[in-house]
Amino acid sequence: MALTTAPGRSPRTGPVGPRPTRRGAGRARLGEGLAGYVFLSPWLIGLMGVTAIPMLLSLWLSFTDYDILTPLSEVRWVGLANYERMFTADPSYWHAVRVTLTFALVAVPLKLAAALGVALLLNRTWRGVGLFRGLFYLPSLLGGSVALAIVWVNMFNRDGAFNSFLALFGVEGLPWVADPDWALQTLMVLAIWQFGAPMVIFLAGLKQVPVELYEAASVDGAGTWRKFRAVTLPMLSPVIFFNLVLETIHGFQGFTAAFVLSNGTGGPVDSTLMYTLKLYISGFTDLEMGYASAMAWVFLLAIALITAVFFSTGRFWVHYSDGGDDS
Amino acid sequence: MHPATPPTAGAPAGRDHRTPLSRRRFVRGLAVVALAAPLALGAAGCGDDDAAGDGGPVKLSVFWWGGEARAKLTEDALALYTKKHPDVTFEKTWQANQGYFDKLATLTAGGNPPDLFQIDDNYLAEYAGRSTTLDLGSYRDSGKLDVSKFPKSLLEYGVVDGKLAGVAAGENTQGLVYNKTLLTRNGLPEPTTGMSWEEHIAWAEQVAKKTKVPGTQDPSADYKALWVWLRQQGKDLYQGKELGFTVEDVTTWFELWKGARDRGATPKPDVIHEGNSSDVTKQLVVTGKAATSWVWVNQMPDLKKNTKDELGVVAYPGDPSAQWARASMYWSVFKGSKHRDTAVDVINFLNNDPEAVALLGTDRGLPSNMDLRAKVSETVTDPAMKQSIQVESELAQKFGPSPQVPIKGHSKVKSELTKAAENAQYGRATPAQAAEQFVTACKAAIA
Repeated sequence: MALTTAPGRSPRTGPVGPRPTRRGAGRARLGEGLAGYVFLSPWLIGLMGVTAIPMLLSLWLSFTDYDILTPLSEVRWVGLANYERMFTADPSYWHAVRVTLTFALVAVPLKLAAALGVALLLNRTWRGVGLFRGLFYLPSLLGGSVALAIVWVNMFNRDGAFNSFLALFGVEGLPWVADPDWALQTLMVLAIWQFGAPMVIFLAGLKQVPVELYEAASVDGAGTWRKFRAVTLPMLSPVIFFNLVLETIHGFQGFTAAFVLSNGTGGPVDSTLMYTLKLYISGFTDLEMGYASAMAWVFLLAIALITAVFFSTGRFWVHYSDGGDDS
Repeated sequence: MHPATPPTAGAPAGRDHRTPLSRRRFVRGLAVVALAAPLALGAAGCGDDDAAGDGGPVKLSVFWWGGEARAKLTEDALALYTKKHPDVTFEKTWQANQGYFDKLATLTAGGNPPDLFQIDDNYLAEYAGRSTTLDLGSYRDSGKLDVSKFPKSLLEYGVVDGKLAGVAAGENTQGLVYNKTLLTRNGLPEPTTGMSWEEHIAWAEQVAKKTKVPGTQDPSADYKALWVWLRQQGKDLYQGKELGFTVEDVTTWFELWKGARDRGATPKPDVIHEGNSSDVTKQLVVTGKAATSWVWVNQMPDLKKNTKDELGVVAYPGDPSAQWARASMYWSVFKGSKHRDTAVDVINFLNNDPEAVALLGTDRGLPSNMDLRAKVSETVTDPAMKQSIQVESELAQKFGPSPQVPIKGHSKVKSELTKAAENAQYGRATPAQAAEQFVTACKAAIA
């Protein structure tokens, strides 16, 4: 490849004659470019080996009947059969889609609201505010950890801490995590509780809002609510947009907690069968990796589509204050 | 000459030799090293197996699921093998049952499966049907794998499509474990082998009324209970590549247990759901949430470790000849293993060497070798283990023929049963609807 492109791309070294100085400069540039690739190579190899190649492989597998155990060389091409089955013949697939959408539609807005609310409270200067910022951020640090999910299950089962708390008020709690009507809600509460990461981003955004705007608004007689609506929200909209996109993607990919809560089954009665969990079960428990690959690709396209929708609607409500239009 | 030249090195290559130590050349060399080093390392990593054919020193990878106790016993037994065959060492990996088969599948897909691994009837056909397991038939015929002391039905329960896919690492059978202390304290009778299902439910109701502890876990989501019940109706879980039962059969089964729930003989649905876990520590008989649990006889000692109460064990209700000598788990050899002969010899050792069998005890079920089983039974001191051996030996007199090993798709059938039964338990579907849903899903799963 290098040999075929070389003559066309470097006419300076053509038959016209030697031009030592310019050639030397070109060499230096090339050398620098090359050095760049050399330093990039660990990442590049990682990207190719760990992400790009497996992704392309999974695209191919999604058109096959690959079952993990059979060697790749013996898989059968099945065309669109996996996709067809997903859309027309697998009710539990659509169930998983429903569960995931319900989860994301409820958990993401509430999480963002909680993050913004707490960020507003913590955006003042009073003693110990740093401590509180740390405390509220803490659950996010634990992230999608298995340990946290186990604690959660134990808190919300029939004899869990939450029901003991309810009992103080004479209320008899439900077996939240083992009740098909409530298990998903328990997972939502867990997701919402981990609002620390968007909260920190909101806090950073709030610090960027110029104080003069609030002062000007006060002079014009605006109250707290009015200032929030007319100053804070518009100024914060790029950050809200960022958090919304990020958390939506994150919400769709919820896996760990659902896996732990249901012992990897999506139960009770499929109530916590998140999309990624269904995918995992298809691939690793039912040994239908071709089908699982197809599911993964539909998932990728769906998330890309949702993100695209966010971006295309963003221009109606996201205000970038450093844009050209403010005088 | 320049096979590894990165495409970005654009200028004609022929001119380079004039500036032997140019920066460019240095950088290019660096790039080659950077690109080639991982490849070389990778190649070295792949190559280190080649030297060891059977005969030279062999490192055999072994993979099993289980707890720490099993790990200890297995490691001791393997160490004994190494002592007798200094050329053979082991690379041992073990983990909990949950996630084991995910890992095994992933290892296989990655081209790095263990030479020797533990597997059970839930997955044996999946692996054998895809030619992942070595057919041990020729070793059996040549006597390198000695199965002469095995019960015939136990050996046959490792045959899939005419091939010996796994050798029983032990024998067990379904067992109904009950809380003896609770019953004695309340002056209630203990369940007995041969009780009918109706009698069992009536007994459980009586227990619930007297002790306030539900008499029995509702096993309607449990494939092994359904299986025994089906066999008593002259049906089976599978017949050839088909289901061995109809929607009506499952409806009757679900209705039987709906009746039991309505009579208060079983716990509430969320507690049943807890007990449906395969985790020994969550079985209701040890958590005190029910008086009986539906398990395997050889799980008795493990259950006993999790409760202070005395436990007893009998067969599942109905005619005990519906039960069979089940291989609690098998040892299988990966078909592509470079050390198959050694692996088979290790299986032979673990099953037939008196010392090894004595070490392993009944951790994986009763020893498959009948002579050694008798010996182990005599020397066992753990009371729970003693009890399980005694019960299973008695039941062995009544065992019926083994069914066929569950077919491909069985793991899905199991999870669909749980889903359908829980749908009925939580009152989200009638028994008939749940049965319909289950059978439809099963047909798709095994198609």
